[in-house]
Amino acid sequence: MNPGPQIVFYLFGKDYLPITDTLMVGWLTVVIILILAKYLTSKMSIRPNGKQNVAEFIVELIHGQIEPMLPNEGWRFLPFIATIFIYIGFSNLISLIPGLASPTGDLNTTLGLALTVFLVVQYEGMREYGVWGYIKSFAEPVIFLLPINVIGELAKPISHSFRLFGNVVGGGIIITLVYQAAPALIPVPLHAWFGFFVGLIQALIFGMIAIAYISVAKS
Amino acid sequence: MLEFSPEVANTVIKTASYIAAGTALIAGVGPGIGMGFAAGKATSAVRRQPQARGPIITTMLLGQVISGSTGIYSLVIAIVLIFGT
Repeated sequence: MNPGPQIVFYLFGKDYLPITDTLMVGWLTVVIILILAKYLTSKMSIRPNGKQNVAEFIVELIHGQIEPMLPNEGWRFLPFIATIFIYIGFSNLISLIPGLASPTGDLNTTLGLALTVFLVVQYEGMREYGVWGYIKSFAEPVIFLLPINVIGELAKPISHSFRLFGNVVGGGIIITLVYQAAPALIPVPLHAWFGFFVGLIQALIFGMIAIAYISVAKS
Repeated sequence: MLEFSPEVANTVIKTASYIAAGTALIAGVGPGIGMGFAAGKATSAVRRQPQARGPIITTMLLGQVISGSTGIYSLVIAIVLIFGT
C-alpha cells in the first residue's frame, strides 16, 4: 500500500519524463469532459430540451457562485472558474471506479492548478491597480510589513494545493485501510462519503477560494 | 561513540516516524473546535434569518475551510512521515 502516483512508463529513454497513473487518469478525465461537453451542447435551441437544461443548470450554478463575490464580472471569470470546478469535480468522482487513481491525489495536479490561480490573482491585481501600484500595495500600511505580506501571498498557493491533496489522499488512505480489514459491503458508505460528498465539496471549495483570492486582490 | 548497525538504525527511524505521525494528528483538535464553532454560529444565524440560508452556508464553508488548513498540514506531514522515511 503506497498512496500517490505510481510510475507506469517513461516517455523518453529510461528515466526521462515519467508518466504516472494519475496523469493517465487525468487525460481520461479530460477526454470524458470533452465528450460530455460536446454531447450536452450539441443541437442547442432557444427552447432548451433535456440535455441543454443540464448544461445550463451547471453554468448558472457556477455563475451564481461567482457573481456575489465579483460583482458584474461573473461572465468574464466563468470560463476559468468553471474549468476548475468541473475538472476537480470529475477528477474526484472518477476515483469511485475501482482501480483508477484520482488525479487530484497527486500533488503535481493540485499544485499546478493552484499556481495557475496564483498567476491569475497577480494578473488581476496588476490589471486593477497597475504594476507599480500593485507591488506598492504589499508595503502598506507600513513598509515593515512588506516581508510578512510577501510570505502571506506566497503561502496561498501552498495551502490551496495541500488542502485538496490532503483531503483526497487522506480519504484514499482510510478507504484502503478499511478494504484490508473488510473487503465487502462495509467500504460502500465510505466511498459515498469520501468520493461523492467530500469530492464535490472540495471541488466547490477550491473554486470558491480561487474566487475569494481574486476578489481580495481586486479590492 | 556508539555505533548502530543499519538495520537497528532503520528500525529506530521507522518507529520514531510512526510515533511522530500519530503525534502530529493531535493538530486535528484545533480545526475541529474551530469548525464546530463556525457551524454553531451559522446555525444560530440561520435560526435568526432563515431567508439568508444560502449566503450563510457559503460563508461558513469558506471560513471552515480556512480554519481547517492546519489540520490538513498535519495530515500531510503525517503522510510524509509514514511513507517518506
